[in-house]
Amino acid sequence: MIIKIAFRNIFRQKRRTILTALAMVVGFTLLSVTIGLSDGAYGNIISMFTRNRIGHIQVHRVGYLDKPSLYETIDGYTAVGAAIQAVAGVEAWTPRVYAAGLGSVGEKSTAVQIIGVDVPRETQATRFDQKIVEGNVLPETASHEAVIGKNLAKILSAKIGSEIVIFSQGADGSLANDVYNIVGIAESGDDATDRTACYLHIEDAQELFVLEGRAHEIVVIVSNINHVGKVTNAIEASLNDSTLDVAPWQVVAKSFYRAMKADQQGDAISRWVIMLIVAIGVLNTVLMSVLERTREYGVLKAVGTKPMQIFWLVICEVVTITLGSICVGVLLGTLANYLLSIYGITYPEEITFGGMKIKTLYAVVNARCLIVPAITVMLSATVVGLFPAIKAARIMPARAMRTH
Amino acid sequence: MAQIQKTDVIVTEGVTKVYAADGIPVNALNGINLTIQSGEFTALVGPSGSGKTTFLNIISGLDSPTEGKVWLAGKVLSEMSGNELSDFRRDNIGFIFQAYNLIPVLTVEENVEYIMLLAGVPKAERHERVIAMLETVGLKGVANRTPTQLSGGQQQRVAIARAMVSEPTIILADEPTANLDSKTGADLLEMMRRLNSETGMTFIFSTHDPMVMERARRLITLRDGRIDTDETR
Repeated sequence: MIIKIAFRNIFRQKRRTILTALAMVVGFTLLSVTIGLSDGAYGNIISMFTRNRIGHIQVHRVGYLDKPSLYETIDGYTAVGAAIQAVAGVEAWTPRVYAAGLGSVGEKSTAVQIIGVDVPRETQATRFDQKIVEGNVLPETASHEAVIGKNLAKILSAKIGSEIVIFSQGADGSLANDVYNIVGIAESGDDATDRTACYLHIEDAQELFVLEGRAHEIVVIVSNINHVGKVTNAIEASLNDSTLDVAPWQVVAKSFYRAMKADQQGDAISRWVIMLIVAIGVLNTVLMSVLERTREYGVLKAVGTKPMQIFWLVICEVVTITLGSICVGVLLGTLANYLLSIYGITYPEEITFGGMKIKTLYAVVNARCLIVPAITVMLSATVVGLFPAIKAARIMPARAMRTH
Repeated sequence: MAQIQKTDVIVTEGVTKVYAADGIPVNALNGINLTIQSGEFTALVGPSGSGKTTFLNIISGLDSPTEGKVWLAGKVLSEMSGNELSDFRRDNIGFIFQAYNLIPVLTVEENVEYIMLLAGVPKAERHERVIAMLETVGLKGVANRTPTQLSGGQQQRVAIARAMVSEPTIILADEPTANLDSKTGADLLEMMRRLNSETGMTFIFSTHDPMVMERARRLITLRDGRIDTDETR
């Protein structure tokens, strides 16, 4: 009977019920879109950052990440790579050689970072071919050719067909210098990288730095980014080599990850604000409804209804309206996120986050953008409903029945 | 401490109620000692502000006295918790209010069966008793209407049915005829008088209505929160 009374009370003041529900639906939808856009943006940024650049997991010699050195190499990286490929959840792997040097084109010189890449693997793992904005990707076999970053090309006034001379030092202490024909210009999406990057075929780099059969880094791409932790542990167990360090992208790019987390906390504040707005709206209408029905609660108590039953009567009304609002919110939130996942929100100008350039923000439709608003709206409505419910339950029947 | 007899339904001892009106204490009841026995048909009369409604509220546990004690069906009301009081009222007291006070979202049948539902009476028995009670109060055929679809007299009949259907020890009626025309009021009073004779239920009215006073077997007059006269006919 309490549920019956609660349900009928909801339809008694239709306008008020609609207003209460509207506050919840708007709050739910706003929250859902905020989460959808946030998850979409971060997912996109993480995907660009990992998939195009650092990979999901990296393997180095122990200590290399903290202090990169030409001498800290993974020996026999092909065997290590094969072992990694055998781990469940690994989609691709690619080895890299890194070294610093001086690059010269004509009379212009600047510091460069030489990155030796296995072209087919790099293309499979990090879509290397898609970074080429001018010219061609490196050939699959070593041929003394180079691809340089877009900004580096500007600094060195280099063009396709120019020759770049690299000066550095080999791992054996010898002077490393050679000439490479520039066949392509690459844009990674990160200005800093594009100012220094000089990509060579891994065998050319190994020859230049006397690193035959050795690499500094193995980049691993996993099939599902959400399983990075699990796959990292599996690779570690599979390699079982104390000289190697297996690190997920969150460790490899600590500062990027921290900046992203800090930004997400900012989003959490906006969620709290939305929750507060919903709570105030609900409190206002529920409290009004309880105050208007003080006399009725007095009568219910007078005829033998227990205080707890009156309490549940009010909570039941709030929860019923909330459940209805959540259903509508799920539909609207899903629709809004779906449309935003297709059309997105385009900024007037590109924004940069962690070196990544973003022009359009796309939302995602996932369980989180429905579950979090549902829990948030239900919790905030129930919590603010507690005060009117307690007030109704504690009513003194004689006093309550004197009110009009 | 008052000596309570088996036949005593209500016993009050030194019941005092002080209200604070705008910070000024107002004595609504001044040490009322009263005993009401089972099966009485009693009217509390007196001018407005004499303490009739306050007294009814206190003897039913809807309000608490500032001083003094109330025994209802042998139990001290002030010693009960909120839940115990709710159960006690549900099982022992039927209320009839001046303003009917029916639950507007429930139908006539649901209003009447509500107390039995709280008491855990099975559905079939509830329905049977509700139909029988509605017939007794002359409301056959309106079970599915809501209170707003009834006249004032019909609503008061529903209130009487609600008060009586669970067969409480005592019926407390606060100005039950105040909002009714004289014919309807007289009919309802006759009905209550008949139910009192047939069932032996105790009725206590607070009233200004001469019709009620005429029919009451005991007439207690309150003045300034005190019993002025107590006359049994």
